[in-house]
Amino acid sequence: MGSPCELLTDADDEQLAGQLLDIVSAEAWRVEDKFSRYLPGNIVAQINNSDGDTIKVDDEVADLLDFAATLHQLSDGLFDITSGVLGKLWRFDGSDNIPDANEVNSMLAHVGWEKLCWKRPQLTLAPGMQIDFGGLGKEYAVDRAAVLVAAKTETRCLVNYGGDLVATGGSARATGWRVGIEVPEDESARAGHLIRLARGGLATSGDARRYVLRNGVRYGHILNPTTGWPIEGTPRSVTVAADTCTQAGMLATLAMLNGAAAEAFLDEQEVRYWCLR
Amino acid sequence: MIRKNRKSIAATLATATCSLLGNSIPEPVQAQEEPGWDFNTALLYYVEGDDRVDDLSLNVLARKTFLDDRSLSLGFAFDTLSGATPVGAVPFDSVQTLTRASGRSTYSVPADAIPLDATFWDTRYAIHANWQQPLGRLYSIDTGLSASFEYDYTHIGANFKLSRDFNKRNTTASIGLAFASDDMDPEGGAPVPLAPMLDVGDQSNKTGDESKDVIDVVLGVTQVISRNMLVQLSYSFSDSSGYLTDPYKILTVVDPVTGDPVPRVLAPGAEGPSHEYRFESRPDSRTKHSFYAQTKYYMSGKVLDASYRFMTDDWGIDSHTVDLRYRWPVGENKYFEPHLRFYSQSEADFYRISLVDGVPLPSYASADYRLGDFDALTVGLKYGWTLASGNEMSARIELYKQDGDAPQDQLIGNQLTREMYPDLDAIIAQFSYRFGR
Amino acid sequence: MRIFSKAVFVFSLVIGAGTGCSSMGVEPWERDVLAKEEMQLLADPVEAGLDDHIYFSKEASSGGRGFGGGGCGCN
Repeated sequence: MGSPCELLTDADDEQLAGQLLDIVSAEAWRVEDKFSRYLPGNIVAQINNSDGDTIKVDDEVADLLDFAATLHQLSDGLFDITSGVLGKLWRFDGSDNIPDANEVNSMLAHVGWEKLCWKRPQLTLAPGMQIDFGGLGKEYAVDRAAVLVAAKTETRCLVNYGGDLVATGGSARATGWRVGIEVPEDESARAGHLIRLARGGLATSGDARRYVLRNGVRYGHILNPTTGWPIEGTPRSVTVAADTCTQAGMLATLAMLNGAAAEAFLDEQEVRYWCLR
Repeated sequence: MIRKNRKSIAATLATATCSLLGNSIPEPVQAQEEPGWDFNTALLYYVEGDDRVDDLSLNVLARKTFLDDRSLSLGFAFDTLSGATPVGAVPFDSVQTLTRASGRSTYSVPADAIPLDATFWDTRYAIHANWQQPLGRLYSIDTGLSASFEYDYTHIGANFKLSRDFNKRNTTASIGLAFASDDMDPEGGAPVPLAPMLDVGDQSNKTGDESKDVIDVVLGVTQVISRNMLVQLSYSFSDSSGYLTDPYKILTVVDPVTGDPVPRVLAPGAEGPSHEYRFESRPDSRTKHSFYAQTKYYMSGKVLDASYRFMTDDWGIDSHTVDLRYRWPVGENKYFEPHLRFYSQSEADFYRISLVDGVPLPSYASADYRLGDFDALTVGLKYGWTLASGNEMSARIELYKQDGDAPQDQLIGNQLTREMYPDLDAIIAQFSYRFGR
Repeated sequence: MRIFSKAVFVFSLVIGAGTGCSSMGVEPWERDVLAKEEMQLLADPVEAGLDDHIYFSKEASSGGRGFGGGGCGCN
């Protein structure tokens, strides 16, 4: 998952706590092994090395691909799991290195959900295309772990994978978990917000230290897959609270994709959010 | 730019997520930002029997906690008191007339009743502010200012406390200091100590305003005993100096044989006291030592809060206070809390029922029943409940009864047949509401 | 003053005993009950303040728990 993962639980039975930890960690590794684009031999590697061949995928991968299709549609094409290849051109290290326009344009030939053929359960990528579940994998993993935990116990639990989290269990009036939202780059923790999360998910999309600074303009690392360039006017971070971590994460991502209109978008969706610019 | 019917995005996303996770509809999210300010408000009504004092009080405490355990508390209290309190004169089987504190007119006290002072009406405003913060990992400080205002009394004060944790925070030791400076401007002026009560219009027995200073030092230790129990011990030292007398309280001068008030002859056309009275006088310094122990004990949801305080001072007063509260939760959001408080104090060295005519005046004397020998009992019940919004309300009702005895060796003649000590019966009713914003 | 110095002496003993007594108490993760609001030593400061004020006006003792927190012309 690329970040520390933890399970917090109210259980006072040590055996139960141990079992819950085993369940969550097993599921975390299972999802990572299956969907990571860095591991050779898994289904994602097979798909990305298919070179135009049709690959038959299982129900879980099919569900994720259907979900990615929905997000592509909801975002008018801005959310696109085939856009990962553009990352090879951009280095977001705070420097002023931007790629050449021709390089970007030729890379764009391999980007675009509409360029692949998805007919459940068969997926056919055009040669040179890659898919990357990084944009929704972590939130999906959090929710999967939560489903397993809730099936096992009614005790209050919090699944937290590096700031993408979900709270399960407990009674309707239980006090929530205290979750802090930091102000990026403010180490003293004097600012920020404190949230009580009793139920549901919280996810954050942010640029933190990944940006490019050119001619005084700051470009976040969220790329527009139709142009190959960073979206302008993105907030430094967006945190959303929703019924599940996946919904929270997707709303945060869609907000970022709206750039300067992030807050307006979230206001219209009537969700609880915290936006830092 | 996203052009679709925007509201449907969240809804479509919700449906899509359901399919993805194979859930039935998940429970709605409950995420609340920690309230900026936590408000604790209370309205209290206090009423004494026998048409004595009643007091209506409104209190507001607002507290904001910042992210790293620093907090600011602001408090405001407004009281409106009215009624009458025992003035210190002894009861008698005829009507008595006394001059008001202002010296502008007189008032009468019915026969066979404990004499009360003239009815008063007073409003009081009080404010305080406190700042609390950690100092490093194991220390924390608490510092504050307070002030209160009444037409005849002003108080300002400052306090400071330093605490340190030991033993994985199982033990906390603290030391606190407080200073107060109070100014009094009694109606008519502060009386000369033990001066006689004079006719209307004669203020020669009065001086001007007065003041007093108080220093308090508190040493405390809190210790975690077990997962369910906590104990606190503290010692406090208090030193008051300045004007400690009550400017409105008097003593009756009585006949050495009958114990009846000595009558006073009024000049023709003059208005004034019907008998001989003198204003009280207390020492100009008072040192108090208090020892306090408190425990909180949790027994499967119920909490017992028990405390004991012993106070002794250089006025000869010793007191014992035992306070018990038992919090009994009912279901998830309600509770009952019965309360019992026992109090007992011994009289001050200079406490006198009355002054004897012909006997040289003592240096200090007061007939204020609050410096006398009495026991008091409080019995109360509180009921609290949490609303759907998470805010809390509570209501409590308490009965307070004071029962005292005049020192037998001081009673003379007819005084032995009369009810000399003003017992007190009072009801306390309070409603509280706690919410965050 | 003698009572004062005796009290300080006893206090230092108590604190010394407390700090040395590292076996008494709980581990940081066993503080769930102690963290509950109803287990705080001063669970309701407003009510405590109101009671202190009433008893301060009607009796000769005051405070004990902490500071008087403001005087008044009622005693």
